[in-house]
Amino acid sequence: MMSKLGSVVEAVDKYNEHVLAEVKRARADEKFGRELLDRWNEIKRNIKVGTSPTGLQLPRLALPEIDEPGEIARFLVGDGLPGEFPYLNGAYREMYLEPWQEPAIETGTFEKNGDGRKSRLNGARNGANGNGSTPRAAKNRVPDVVRKPQQAEEPTRLFSGLMLAEDTNKRFHFLSAHQRSKRLSTAFDGPTLYGIDSDADGVFGKIGEGGVAVDTVEDMVRLYDGFDLGSPDFSASMTISGPAPIIMAMYIAAAQRRFGADVVPKLRGTIQADIFKEVQAQNETIFPVEASLRFLGDMMEWTMRHMPRWYPVSISGYHIGEAGSTPVQQAAYTLSNGFAYAEMMADRGMSADEFGPRLSFFLDCGLDVEYIALTRVSRRIWAIGMKEVFGAGPKAQLFKVHTQTSGRSLIAAEFRNNLTRTAAELMLAYMNGTNSCHSNSADEPFTTPSEEWIRLSAHSQAILLEESGIFKHTMNMLSGSPGMKAVERAVEAAILEEFREIERLGGVLAAVENRYQRSQIQNAAHRYEEQIYDGTRPIVALNKYRNPDEEMPEFELARTPRARQQLQVDRLKKFKTKNARKAEQALDKLADIVETDENCFPALLEAAEVCSLGQISERLQEVVGRFRPMV
Amino acid sequence: MAAPIRVLTAVPICDGHDSAINTINLEFIRHGIEVVYLGFHRYVSDIVRAAIQEDVAAVGISSYNGGHIEFFAEVVKQLKKRGADDIKVFGGGGGTITHDDQRIMQKRGVDKIFFAGTALTDMADFVRDRYAKKPKRRATSDAEMKLARKLTEIEESYAGKSRKAKVESRKSKSGSTRVIGFTGPGGAGKTTLIDELVLRMLKRDAKSRIAILSHDPSVVGNGALLGDRATMINAQNDRVFMRSMATRGQAGGLSPATEDCLQLLAQSGFDYVIIETVGTGQEAMPFQSKLVDETVLVMNPDYGARLQLQKIVMLDLADIVVVNKSDLDRAKTAVNEIERRLEQNLREQKLISTVAKRHRDRGVDELCDLLTRCAAAKKKGK
Repeated sequence: MMSKLGSVVEAVDKYNEHVLAEVKRARADEKFGRELLDRWNEIKRNIKVGTSPTGLQLPRLALPEIDEPGEIARFLVGDGLPGEFPYLNGAYREMYLEPWQEPAIETGTFEKNGDGRKSRLNGARNGANGNGSTPRAAKNRVPDVVRKPQQAEEPTRLFSGLMLAEDTNKRFHFLSAHQRSKRLSTAFDGPTLYGIDSDADGVFGKIGEGGVAVDTVEDMVRLYDGFDLGSPDFSASMTISGPAPIIMAMYIAAAQRRFGADVVPKLRGTIQADIFKEVQAQNETIFPVEASLRFLGDMMEWTMRHMPRWYPVSISGYHIGEAGSTPVQQAAYTLSNGFAYAEMMADRGMSADEFGPRLSFFLDCGLDVEYIALTRVSRRIWAIGMKEVFGAGPKAQLFKVHTQTSGRSLIAAEFRNNLTRTAAELMLAYMNGTNSCHSNSADEPFTTPSEEWIRLSAHSQAILLEESGIFKHTMNMLSGSPGMKAVERAVEAAILEEFREIERLGGVLAAVENRYQRSQIQNAAHRYEEQIYDGTRPIVALNKYRNPDEEMPEFELARTPRARQQLQVDRLKKFKTKNARKAEQALDKLADIVETDENCFPALLEAAEVCSLGQISERLQEVVGRFRPMV
Repeated sequence: MAAPIRVLTAVPICDGHDSAINTINLEFIRHGIEVVYLGFHRYVSDIVRAAIQEDVAAVGISSYNGGHIEFFAEVVKQLKKRGADDIKVFGGGGGTITHDDQRIMQKRGVDKIFFAGTALTDMADFVRDRYAKKPKRRATSDAEMKLARKLTEIEESYAGKSRKAKVESRKSKSGSTRVIGFTGPGGAGKTTLIDELVLRMLKRDAKSRIAILSHDPSVVGNGALLGDRATMINAQNDRVFMRSMATRGQAGGLSPATEDCLQLLAQSGFDYVIIETVGTGQEAMPFQSKLVDETVLVMNPDYGARLQLQKIVMLDLADIVVVNKSDLDRAKTAVNEIERRLEQNLREQKLISTVAKRHRDRGVDELCDLLTRCAAAKKKGK
């Protein structure tokens, strides 16, 4: 029996045949050809023309220079305009562009994508962003610093988390002080990522290391203190998967404590919650795979129904890429994991238009040539699969993606080169039309990023998007070159071949249990190391142009002082003592519901009020078992 | 010939970075070292318990997620507390271990820290030079440690020229101890099945104590990767004594020292002694010992043609045959064919279908019932 992934492969093949058929028809059928030409001319007529700072007139949308119906069909059907199926050139009509200043031409026919969500995910300077009340004439320029608070939302995201909740809270306020929209991205410490309490045996020393320690709803209150969680200008992103449903429940519980129950439908943000990639690459899994999927599904279903602005899963290729996969493997496993989650929600009786818009993606961007088009191709495959196999409408077809530059591509030797590596990766990420982006800090190979290098990495994005004119004036600036097309074709074929292999193994879950993705990733990682070793993969200052006199720079490591760690342990113990009786009741109730087929998320929400993370995960493990590592 | 060096390797709690340790393990066994691999995300207490039970020369820890100063020191401290400070601790990790950290860690009793970029062979050479000779050890009153050291003595006596000092008293096993032997082809899921059984046995009788003698093959260069502990997550428990043994050149699924080690364990007051062979071939008959009460053959539904069943000797000998992975498409046919095959034997053999990877699988419950019933019946009979 074919899984949905097999049907996706068929759908993409069929769509590609359909494109060729449409090209033929455009040439053979005169009426159809004329319709296409009319549409093409209409599109061109409606393109607004802007002016660069040097006075150059440029269209806000660049199109291929074609006037023959067959080629027009190939472009419109095969690639699509930005914001149109199959979205090769972008999920939205306009991204990153400077706001439109004054209507040079009457607009109308082309403004069909002007819904709220688009503006939320659009790039830095989208004119359709509701800032229309403060129009600025192009000639009346003000320095950027002054203009910034009035800007639309920045696509920049900076990942942060250190020590205890109040320490991270301080960092959040520092990072977002000058941003109108507060977009906080949260890193958790090891114990939290594994669903373990800070007072557990042998955990001392890891509390607040590499991320923030969260044990209870009280920590969650401290973590986002001073931020208006229900505001449209606030969103929280939480990078955690194994115990994600528990952490999600704690976030909701904390929001309710501060703002009352009415805040729930207003909450915006993302929780990673991607169990498949944990088993395939990152090893942060605490329940057996099937139980993890059930908890995830319960959480997704609940949040999709009660929190329409929340993204309850971020389907992540980043960690697959960082674990050493090839770019094609990264895209193939991420997309197939996404289709498996879609299938899971469809099996729960939800329609694609309900769950589709709540799925988001997270990709790695490195320096290999595939990255020129990897996200573009992924967006196209996702759209075709969601439309043809799951019956999704336009909003549920969009591949909404956050990109992070590659951490693995950064090295310690002559680490300042990492600025250049990250800059090149950023360029690639924006060429692919990413919805948001995190640029790594050059000092990452040694340490938790320091403020100096974080600042430079944030600046690199501003230099690319604001200082340079590359992305400000014209959509499709770098789309559709012959080279990019060639990469697109090769990458798409390779991704589909990976899909076929997974399908042969019985679908994503069966392939996971076969350790297929895991072994493929490990092989690729091994090959990568060999290539560095034998020199076929040049790494500057490592296996080429090496400076023999270079010494490792000494870095100040950000560590959590023992006293801070002890404070976390002490207040957790106090919380447990205070809630001991209620916790036992809540855990019993939770365990009972987990034994049934009912959605256990409401019980999890109740438990999150009075139980610690470790208490909940331990009780759940008693019922469903623990994850058995694949060795 | 001296016995191979045995070391334990692990990745600390809250750390899933296992790619470095996987590579290092392979390098160690290539250099003739026997590596007991505990897996990633492991508690200090699990590491210390395993190190003592396995009586290794040293513990190697690979840490990438920070907190290494405390973690390494805690392992050293707990080993010392048990009186096992002859077991040395070494390790390394990613860029977050600084030279200052290394100094502090060594001051707290860590033997050696390797930094990123160290050649793999240098690490293996270090282990071979440093841990080949066991330090003189104080006598211990810790029963678990005594048992572990005695097992080492037995194992090493087989590596040496003279085969003396095996088991002192050849009295038979203690009355209530039940010895269960598990065998079957590689990949049938023996290790997972045993771990699920252990979980049930520990739960059913809150006082029961279990010993596990698990085997993995020695490889070229005479090292071995003893990895069953990484899979047996439930067996990492204070009421379980587990010992991993390499076959050290003997065919048939067990080690030359197995019988003597089994004898010792059977006299040590455990309720159950479980012995697991390496993945075996069709002709294997590993449990000739009179000490073994029940033998369990664990089969994979994918054994090939029906005729293959005629060649598997253990199908004649096993008391219980388990078809694991019975959620696979082929399982129904397999169960039918094996049932017919067992009928030829004209003796009472049980056939049970399990899905050991599934939590609370009914088939595993049934197997546990059967084995504990056998044990209870025996107790009464005596």
